[in-house]
Parts: sequence; C-alpha cells; structure tokens
Amino acid sequence: MTAFTVPLFVRGQLITDDLVPFASRLDHSFQAPDPAKHAHALPLRSPSEMADLYAVSFDEILDVLTELGVALAFERNPYIQEAYEACLVSNPMPESILRTGYVALPTMFSRESMRELAEAQVGIDYLEGWVPRRLLDGREIRVRAFGARTLHIPAGNGGLVAGITVLRNALTRSDATVKAPSNDPLTAIAIARTLADIAPDHPITKHLAVGYWKGGDEQVEEQLYKPEHIEKIVAWGGLASVKHVTRYIQPGLELIALDPKRSGTIIGPEAFEDEDTLREVAKRAACDVGAGNQEGCVNARVIYVLSGTDEAGLQKANRLGQLVYESMVGLPEFISTTPKVVDRTLLENVEGSRLTEDWYRVFGGEHAEGAIIVSQLDEPVHYSTLLSGRVANIVPVDSIDKVTDAVNAYTQTIGIYPESLKAELRDTLSLFGAQRLTSLGYAASVNFTIPQDAMEPVRRMCKWVVEEHCSPDRVLPLWESRDLTPMPTTM
Amino acid sequence: MAMQSVQTFMDSPLTYFGESITPMHSIAREELAELQREAMIRRFAEHRQSIEMVRKLADRLDVSAVDKFDDIVPLMFSHTAYKAYPPALIDNNRWDLMTRWLDKLTTYDLSEVDVEGCESIDEWLDRLETQTPLQIVTSSGTTGTFSVIPKDVPITIEGMHIWKNMVFQTFGKEPTEDELDPVVDVIWPNFSEGRFGMTRMVPWMKREFTGGDESRFHPLYSGAMDTDLMFLANKMRAAAAKGELGRLQLDPKLAARKDELIAMQQRQMTEVPEFIARMTNELRGKRVFMTSTYNLMYSLASAGLDEGARAEFASNSAILTGGGAKGQVLPDGYMDVIREFYGGVRIQEGYAFSEHNGVHFACEEGRYHLQPWVIPFILDPESSQPLPRAGTKTGRFAVYDVVNQSHWGGVITGDEVTIDWDSPCPCGRTSLALEHTIMRFSEKKEGQEDKISCAATHEVHNEAIDFLREFQS
Repeated sequence: MTAFTVPLFVRGQLITDDLVPFASRLDHSFQAPDPAKHAHALPLRSPSEMADLYAVSFDEILDVLTELGVALAFERNPYIQEAYEACLVSNPMPESILRTGYVALPTMFSRESMRELAEAQVGIDYLEGWVPRRLLDGREIRVRAFGARTLHIPAGNGGLVAGITVLRNALTRSDATVKAPSNDPLTAIAIARTLADIAPDHPITKHLAVGYWKGGDEQVEEQLYKPEHIEKIVAWGGLASVKHVTRYIQPGLELIALDPKRSGTIIGPEAFEDEDTLREVAKRAACDVGAGNQEGCVNARVIYVLSGTDEAGLQKANRLGQLVYESMVGLPEFISTTPKVVDRTLLENVEGSRLTEDWYRVFGGEHAEGAIIVSQLDEPVHYSTLLSGRVANIVPVDSIDKVTDAVNAYTQTIGIYPESLKAELRDTLSLFGAQRLTSLGYAASVNFTIPQDAMEPVRRMCKWVVEEHCSPDRVLPLWESRDLTPMPTTM
Repeated sequence: MAMQSVQTFMDSPLTYFGESITPMHSIAREELAELQREAMIRRFAEHRQSIEMVRKLADRLDVSAVDKFDDIVPLMFSHTAYKAYPPALIDNNRWDLMTRWLDKLTTYDLSEVDVEGCESIDEWLDRLETQTPLQIVTSSGTTGTFSVIPKDVPITIEGMHIWKNMVFQTFGKEPTEDELDPVVDVIWPNFSEGRFGMTRMVPWMKREFTGGDESRFHPLYSGAMDTDLMFLANKMRAAAAKGELGRLQLDPKLAARKDELIAMQQRQMTEVPEFIARMTNELRGKRVFMTSTYNLMYSLASAGLDEGARAEFASNSAILTGGGAKGQVLPDGYMDVIREFYGGVRIQEGYAFSEHNGVHFACEEGRYHLQPWVIPFILDPESSQPLPRAGTKTGRFAVYDVVNQSHWGGVITGDEVTIDWDSPCPCGRTSLALEHTIMRFSEKKEGQEDKISCAATHEVHNEAIDFLREFQS
C-alpha cells in the first residue's frame, strides 16, 4: 500500500487537516481532508467577488500563465513530481507514457498557443471587453464573454486534462472548483500550488479551488452543486460520473458534458494498393490504437476496412491485422507499452474469439500485450464496448453503409484513410453523430484549440452578456407604434 | 488400477462411490489424484477425436496426448468460448450457422439437424433437442450475447440424480433409503418453465424429486421464462452501452407477443405474496427441497418476516442456496435472515457454474468441497499459467471435469478463488476445497453497470417487457 496525501487547495490556502482515507483505483489508498467538513469552504462567497478578475488585463493573465508553464517543468517542480508519483500507483497508465504527459504540460502554457486557443474558441476581444456591433433594426449592441462559477470534474487520464482545466478557467476569467479524479489525484493540486507560489495574491490564484471527494458523495455534492454556488458544471469522462451529476442540473445550473466517447477508424480499399502503402496504413492505424495504451476516448477501437468480405477481402483484412499488430507492439515506450492493467473480462472474450476460427482471427494477445482481432464477417465482436489496453477489432465490409450504421452520438474521433475518403464521408458521418474526422494516425494527436465533442467548451464556459443601446430615432419605439395588428399575437 | 473402475469413476462417479458422499469425500488425495489423472488422459483422447474445437486447439499446440494435470491447461477453453458466436447470426435467423458453430463444441454430429424455418432462439433449441440427445444450457452474458452449453440427456439425468442424492445426505453417516430416494415437494422461486438459465432444470427436477407428481412442484411465477426476451434484454443493455438503443430492431414475432408478456408481468405482482403464503401455510410441516440464489432466498425471507410469517418445513427438508451475490449487494447478515425465516431446516450453500457438472457443497467450515470428478486448477490471473498445487493459492479458477461427456471438460472460469492445497479441512473431508470468498473478476472493477447476471433475470425480463410496451405505444 502506498499512501499519500491529497490536500485541499482553497483559493491560495492549503488545508491538510482532518485527514480521512480513500481508496484509489488500483488497490492503493490516499488520504485527504474530510470533504464533508470542508466542502463549505470551496465555493465563492458571492459572485461579486469575481470583480477582481476584471481588474487585470488579458495580457497580464497570459503573463502569469506563461510563468506558470515555465514553473511546471517536470524536472524542477516537486509538486508535479509528486503528482506523477501518485499517478504511478493510482493510474493504469505505465510510467513512460505518464511521463510523456507531464513533460508536455508546460508547452500548453506557451503564450502563442494560449492566444490561439482564446482567439479560436472565444475571441480575445470578447474576453477583454465589450465588442460593439450595429444590427439591422438600428440597435447597437456590445457583447462580452464573462467567466462563470464553474465546477470541473476532469478525467484522470494523464496530467494534461488538469492543465487544460486550470488554463480554460483562467483565460475565461472564471472561478473554478475542481474535483480531482481518484486516478490522478494530485496534478490539479500541483498546478494550483505552483500558481500560488509564483502569484500568491493574483486573482487567478484566488479563483481556483481543488479538492478530492468521492464522486457521488451526496453529503458533499448537495452542499456544493447548487445554483447559488455554481453556474456550470464541466463533467468529463465515464458514464457513471456524468450520469450522477445530471441529478443536480436545474434552472441556473448548466451541464457541459464531455461525455464518454469511443472512436473508430475507416480504411478505404486504397490501403491495399501496394505493400508499402499497406505498411504505412498499418503503422498509422497501430498508432491510433496503441497511443497512450488505448486509455483515451480518441483511440481507435473498431477499425472498418473496405476490403470486401469475399475470400480475397478477408485475406486482405487478415494481412492488415497482422501488420497492425506488429506495428503496435513495436511502438516506442513513451507512446505505448504492454498495458499495466488489463480488463480480464475483455481478455476472456478474446480467448473465446481465438477458439472461434470461423469468424475471428486473433493476432497476439497471449501475453496481455494487446491484440488485433480480425472479424471474418462484417460485424464487430459483441464485446466491442470493452475494447481497451491495446485490443482492437478489424471489421471487413463491402460497403460504407455498414460503417455509417455504427456511427452515433457516442462516436468521437474517426481516423480515415485516404484523405479523399474523408472528404467524401464528412457530410454523412457528421449527420450520424461523428464529432472529429482526422487523418489516419492522428487520432491521439490532440489539439485543445479545436472544437471538442462537437462543441466549443470554452465558448460555453463563458456567459455571453449583451448590452444594447436603442435610440428611439433609430430603433422603432414600441410605445409609439400605432397599429399593433400586424404584429404576431404571441408578442 | 483396474480399467473398469477408472471407467466407472469417469462415467458414473455416484456408482463408483456407492451413492454415498462419505466415501466420495474421504478418498485419499493421492489415490483420487491418480484416478483423476487416468480419467483425464482417457477423456482427452476421446474428445480430441470427437470435438472439433478441441482437436484444432490440440493440433495448433501440437499436443497429441496428456499425462500430468498441468498438460491439460493450455487446452482449456475460456468460459467465453460458449458465447463467442457473432450475435448477428441470431438477429439474422442464421440458425444454420449457429448450428455449425455449436457442432464444433460437442461430441454429437449436428450436421443433419434441420433448422429450416426456425424463427427464434427457443425454436432453434427445440430443434436441436428433438433431433439430437443434446440438452442445452444457456446463461446470460454481459455484452449482448448468452452462453450456449451443449450438455446432453444422460449427463442431465445423472447430474440431477447426483443432486438429489447429495442434498439430503450427511457427511460421515451412512445414507438411509429415505435420504437417497425421497419424494418431496419442490419449492422453486423462479419461473415455472423455460429454457433460460436455471429454468432449464425444471422438468428434470420434477422428475427426480417429486416422483412425477406435478402438484408437488411450487414455482413462484406461473409463466415461462422466455429465452428470446432474455436475448432482447441482453441486447438492449449492450445497445444502451453503445448509444444505439434507438436503432434496435425488434423482432416482429416478439413484438406480436407484447400483450401476453405484459399480462404475465402484471400477474407476477400478486404471485409473490401468494407464494409466501403457500410456503408458510400449505407447505408447513412438509418435507421440501428448495433451491435458489442468495438474493432471491433473502428477499423472500425478509418479505416473509416483515409479515410476521416463517416457513416451517419438516426438519428433514433440504435447502440449497448459492450463486454468489452476482452483482447484487446483499446486506450484512443476509444468511441470518434466511436462516431465521426457514427455521430448523439445514441450509446448504453450493458453488456451481454451467460449463461443468456438479454443485460443490460448503462444509461447516464454509469451504466448498470439490466433487471428485472435477480436477481443480488455480491459474495466474495475468499469465493464465497454472500455479503450483501447494500452499495456499489465490487466482483464476479452472477445472477439468472428467465426467463431462457431450462437451469439453476443460474450462477457465471468470472466478477468483483460493485453495489451500496442503492442509486438510477440519471438517474431516479429504477433498480439496475452495475458500468461501469467491469473486468474479468482472465484478472486481468499476463500471460494470450493464451487467446482467442470472440472479437478476426477473428484473431483466421485466425491463424487456417494459421496452416492448414503450416500443409500440
């Protein structure tokens, strides 16, 4: 048993009293201040206390965040190192991949990329002040994007999610209460503590609270999840966590759900044009499956291949399966490894498929290192929702209709080869629910500047307030209009 | 060792041990191990010829004979082998392909089975059972399929006979005629008929326990459990997990039965109190055999106690429960509640799974003593390699069942168990035993909310009927 402490960070103050034990996901435990006792300290007292965020400029916020990014350097920051150590025992991701996430953390806070994010997802002018516009009816409006008091329930797959949470909060001048995930209990705290060290009294430090309580702990959540404390909830991850949050949603409390998602792959017949192309396609598909050990929603799970389902088609799909498997186990350690934790129910099912040769070919998987199952019919395995830990299913199909049937609102990313097929399919796949179409091999290469889950979460984190100026000589004054009959009766 | 006796041991263990559980669980471990090993060698040689999937696996691994216990481990099937067919075959009524798949898992030749015009799972199972000696056991899965285990008539009869023989006996005592062949009332807190899961046993149980007297059989629900409905329920859970519930295609044949199924569901509301009343009044003082899972036993017991009622069966009755909590949370002390309601009757706990034969009964120490025809293995959960048969080991449970005749006896379960290989059990039985705590690996992790287990079948059946109701309104 490894025990560590997850303190409560409340707007610059660290609380380490009243420790109670919690179990994490992998048979390890940690301790944290009793959340029932301290939950009351988390929310902002009054919305008016957000005024200090508007006394600083966007550039000044960027200055602090840039400095924060530099200070998050893995090799120099003991808080981050501790967060990484905690993940080693609480997260299914292996050491080498976790390290990759922490090493990449500072780059997220580079001034250029933060500006790009703010500009693309909100518009810096709107964050910085009132943006004027004149409308056809003559009125002048001014729109500003305000921050909101927001509760964040980030996912625990790697430290980057904690990073983007703190970043989005500061850029939108919001007030964040972050519920740390049990499989990454310390990264958000580590970032907050670093921030407090470099800018102890800065408003963005004062508008950050981070703590751990068990998801679903009503004693804590009923105190906290109320419109008088919180205006928005950003919930990432698992069905269970999103589901139990929905009970608190009511007028005045909005949910931004970054739902559990699955991703897929579509490979066109062009992949089989020659051996070099096939190997390239296999390498890219292997990366989509194996990156981060397939723990993310972006990873490929079911790979549809337009190879056909006749004898020749199956042979092609099997050959691809073998090559994807070989490339996958050859991926470098910082991207993919033999999984630390495997879903045994999944492996039991893989063994069932291995015995059922008429319908499945299984490449690898005998040492829980990952496997590629190639269906010998145009249907995915019945356990496709369990696919994880580098286990993917190649499904040969005769036509694209079979693929669109499998795309729905749970489909996040679809990696597609070749580019021409993507262009051909993009309108249709979007109708079915697909949210991100990308070049094969880039599924796990994530850019936070682009829309996520078919929305722009940062835009939604803002409150879009409008101030109108209506001058009676430009905008028809209602009180002076003579004849109301042509107006719709519902007015 | 005489050829005849090994053959008797593997074909009819009850005969071999003189129908008494005392010798069955008193045989010296070394002697039993040798008997088991001999039987394993013979059974493998037989099944390598007669079961295609065993032959293929053996060929792939280049195994032509086995000698030591551990030799059989690479040849074992994962329990998922019995549900590894593509569910699309059922959706598309491809019973020919389903039959071809099952053919590879059994000793019987199914190539001549006529499935022309089959339109449901129940019909398919009917065809198989009328045209071959198969008796098919089905059980629910977690991912939109269910297991299809090709047992046969002889083993079903033998199995039920063993059951009856064992539930009334006491270890260490010579069985009386009254214990070996009693005629009793059977209390069955389940559907009165059906093919799915445990309901498959109903006709055989009636035959073995009630002497064929229908009035001695007391089911909780009057309706039949419907396999197609259970399949629909499984599919619904799987579709919900994929976000595809809206696209679920409903078999028109099943949809047409909506009213019948809803009527059955409504009837069930009144059947629980009637059943409790029957147990506590009509069956008071009667000698009964009652079997059910913990959670059903518990909910009936607590509902009965709430009404101030108690079941007072004759003291030589037998109650068998088990099945693990199966994903359901039982309160602490649930066995106390069960014992309080069912009074002075001996309540035995048993551990069993469909892919092999036999119930392993718990002794006074709470350990499940393994029946002699089952060779136990503990596998490393990560590597699936057998752990040494010494010391106390915890891991994945696997068995080789030498008695198995119509399908392969080697199965790797989804259960985590503990065996103490060295110390004899203080209860006096010489047989190896599983410690009382048995966990399903699938329940050891989070996020298994979509799981359907056989203990929840009544609820699941209802969910499917509710779905039918909504679907057409």
